[in-house]
Amino acid sequence: MARNNIVLGIAGSGGDGIITAGDLLMKAASHDGLFVFMMKSFGPQIRGGESSIRLRMSENPVATQGDKLDILVVLNWKDFPRFKLELLLEDDVVIVSDSADKFPEEDIPIEKSKMKNWYKIPMAEIAQESSGTTQSKNIVMLGIIAELFNLPKEALKEIIKIRFAKKSQEVIDSNINAINAGQNYIKNSFTKKDSLEFAYEKQTPKLVMEGNEAIAYGAMYAGLDFFAGYPITPSSEIMQWIGRFLPKYGGTIIQMEDEIASINAIIGASFAGKKSMTATSGPGISLMNEGLGLASITELPIVVINVQRGGPSTGLPTKTEQSDLMQAIWGSHGDSPKVVIAPSDVEDCFDSTVLAFYIAEKYQIPVIVLSDGFIGTRKESVDPTRFKDEHYGFKKTNQRLTPTKIELVDYKRFKYSIDGISPVSYPGIEGGEHQTAGIEHDEYGRPSSDVDVHRDMTIKRHAKFKAIKEEFNFDRFYGPDDAEIGIVAWGSTKGAVKEAVMKANASGIKVQAIIPQIIYPFLVKPFINFIKTKKNIMIVEMAYSGPFAKYLKGFIDFGKYGVKTFPYRIPGGAPFTVEEILNKIKEVAKEK
Amino acid sequence: MNKYTVKDYKSSAKPIWCPGCGDYGVLNSLYKAFEQLQIPPHKAAVISGIGCSGRLSGYMNTYGFNGVHGRVLPVATGVKMANLENTVIAVGGDGDGFSIGGGHIMHAARKNIDITYIVMDNGIYGLTKGQASPTTPLGIPTKTTYYGNVGTTFNPIRTLIAYKASFVARIFSANIKHSVDIIAQAIEHKGFSFINALSPCVTFRGKDQYDYFRNKSMIIPDDYDPTDEVKAFDYANNEDTLELGIIYKQNRPTYDEVLDTVRIKAKKEGVPSKLGLLHDFEV
Ligand SMILES: Cc1ncc(C[n+]2csc(CCOP(=O)(O)OP(=O)(O)O)c2C)c(N)n1
Ligand code: SF4
Ligand SMILES: [Mg+2]
Repeated sequence: MARNNIVLGIAGSGGDGIITAGDLLMKAASHDGLFVFMMKSFGPQIRGGESSIRLRMSENPVATQGDKLDILVVLNWKDFPRFKLELLLEDDVVIVSDSADKFPEEDIPIEKSKMKNWYKIPMAEIAQESSGTTQSKNIVMLGIIAELFNLPKEALKEIIKIRFAKKSQEVIDSNINAINAGQNYIKNSFTKKDSLEFAYEKQTPKLVMEGNEAIAYGAMYAGLDFFAGYPITPSSEIMQWIGRFLPKYGGTIIQMEDEIASINAIIGASFAGKKSMTATSGPGISLMNEGLGLASITELPIVVINVQRGGPSTGLPTKTEQSDLMQAIWGSHGDSPKVVIAPSDVEDCFDSTVLAFYIAEKYQIPVIVLSDGFIGTRKESVDPTRFKDEHYGFKKTNQRLTPTKIELVDYKRFKYSIDGISPVSYPGIEGGEHQTAGIEHDEYGRPSSDVDVHRDMTIKRHAKFKAIKEEFNFDRFYGPDDAEIGIVAWGSTKGAVKEAVMKANASGIKVQAIIPQIIYPFLVKPFINFIKTKKNIMIVEMAYSGPFAKYLKGFIDFGKYGVKTFPYRIPGGAPFTVEEILNKIKEVAKEK
Repeated sequence: MNKYTVKDYKSSAKPIWCPGCGDYGVLNSLYKAFEQLQIPPHKAAVISGIGCSGRLSGYMNTYGFNGVHGRVLPVATGVKMANLENTVIAVGGDGDGFSIGGGHIMHAARKNIDITYIVMDNGIYGLTKGQASPTTPLGIPTKTTYYGNVGTTFNPIRTLIAYKASFVARIFSANIKHSVDIIAQAIEHKGFSFINALSPCVTFRGKDQYDYFRNKSMIIPDDYDPTDEVKAFDYANNEDTLELGIIYKQNRPTYDEVLDTVRIKAKKEGVPSKLGLLHDFEV
């Protein structure tokens, strides 16, 4: 049967070129205008270990990686077991492997019933014959599966030309040969037994981004001047991307000696009037907590990206989790207001970062963008036309509020105001000289340990929250308003929740989900409207201790609205599947 | 006629240091060095750490930033790199600089960030009332070393030369005239300049610390060549004498100068518009 939505996985050893193959196929699909969603997974080795990719291609937008594989390609069976939980298989999965691989069949952790459609194809041999080396096995494999399942064939060859444009014509030719050899084998010497076939209409080409890149681009778009950071998985790509482009615009990027130095450097740059940002993860964000408090009390705009990974401590560097929520909101000692925004997919990484700069600069407050490894490192299609020049009016907010001539006569850097915002000067502005301090201070910035000064300043710094809550009233809803079952989720769980909600509603179970973007301050109004119509609410999060549920309960008395809550919390590692959420919805639907 | 005089650099806050504290001398020297160089107050930023010494930024009528303990250099790096027109002075204590913030010095030094870093070294934690610091002499009792200080005393000059700090000097807060001259030269130096300021803590090291520094220190002779690294190490290694003056000096490109070459290189490959950057995501 022809399908316009397909999920494919490839697993093998480091030397097999899995990642390259996955990348080429993903790009070919994007070239033909398909929507793609790609995740990579690696063993613990730094280089050369086993790896896998999972690629979903569809004519329509996709929100998740797809629960189960329609096609599994294995270049080295000995490496498959490590990925068996990440690469779950459909019952009618088609398996393609190299017939030269003599790994014992009984050691393969796949149910016999799913091995009905298994093609063993002499990939290495075809590679050797067509290009004189088995190295091109991965490219031959692309030709094979493209022909077998009608994946974007011509586009593959186009992409090879683009990808190797800087290399010799021979390199291009030998890769195209390898594709052709794979295709020819299927056409001439193979009988297909399964009926799986991909079919699609070509559309205009899509862009492909990783969440980390989308954050980096968002920052540049918002007018980033200064970046300081320290490498850490899975956030390093943000610094790396910025390092390629920021210098072109005269901006500054500095690799600091650690995360403590990084956050203090961006605070310094912000004090000097520049839009500043850092990016980190896990252990790095823990080190930044003292600095976050400093930015909070000095009321300096900074944007801090936390691409969450599994914790605690070194934890799971390459895997995702949502367990830094409480630290983001309440981290750093003292009453230290900061804003927390959570992107929910790759495009939203862009939006959230632009928004983070808007809020940081306008409200003179540190903003944490709480992304995670799942969004950060996966690749998704992005429609190029969504980027408009006037996005969030960033030009308008390019400048933070600076003092007028009159205000400079008796300049009070931390002047009390209703919304907590006071005009801020920076070195270079004559008459605006002042002290900015991490120690409690009066309106002029002079140190003070008076109880009333501390009270008034604490209130001033928190007044920004009220103003932010008044300015923003945005939340994402999926599903009908009158549903009695609700789901509250945040961040990268959105994809699975959204698809599960769509499926549940299609099957007659009415569900509505709400996925906030601004996590803190908590936007109560849209939330209250949401829960008013609900009876049972699932709270979905990838953190075993359930911080999100606890956080919500701190603001909302669910019982008062007659709502029963159903926390659904799992430790991180592998993202939620749609089926997992759907099953939970069905369970909740049975509740009265 | 000078446009700016010492009073233009004084803030309205009155120092709260103990009478006789060495930090007064450093502050007065800094005022005078600023006057000598005619630095516009609004184009200067004094970044300070936490400690008695960290209070100094509050007494300057320039831009001031008093951050957290040990992080003066990263903040100062950010302030300077954000706007090269600013004169950036980092100040702090021996605990702030050599203990909690010790890891930052080598990086500011090796990167040759164009700032001046003055450590007010009293060999004690003043603000927290008398605990041992990295420069507390071996054997002397402090509040946290009841039976006598155990760790070997840190030698900042030797370490800074080894770090290739491009300007390494020592001053004694009681010798204002000499200090003004050295501070002014440090500020004018292109690159990272480090000054260890012997600055007695009369309260927790006693008034004797003045005599100790006075007896042990010696102004470097005029014919000394600070670019001679071997001689500089000789001075630094001789811990019986505390030489006052510029001990080591080297001219090499600053971080911002090198970064500018990077920017030029980057621009050569084209400067896309904001939307043009999207090209990077095309397949
Ligand atoms: C992270 C952190 N740890 C400890 C302190 C407490 N503390 C404040 S100042 C100081 C030491 C001050 O000594 P020094 O840097 O030599 O400055 P001085 O007071 O002697 O000028 C300490 C330990 C702190 N403020 N922050
Ligand atoms: S305690 Fe020592 S360092 Fe602090 S102000 Fe008094 S004399 Fe100066
Ligand atoms: Mg001290």
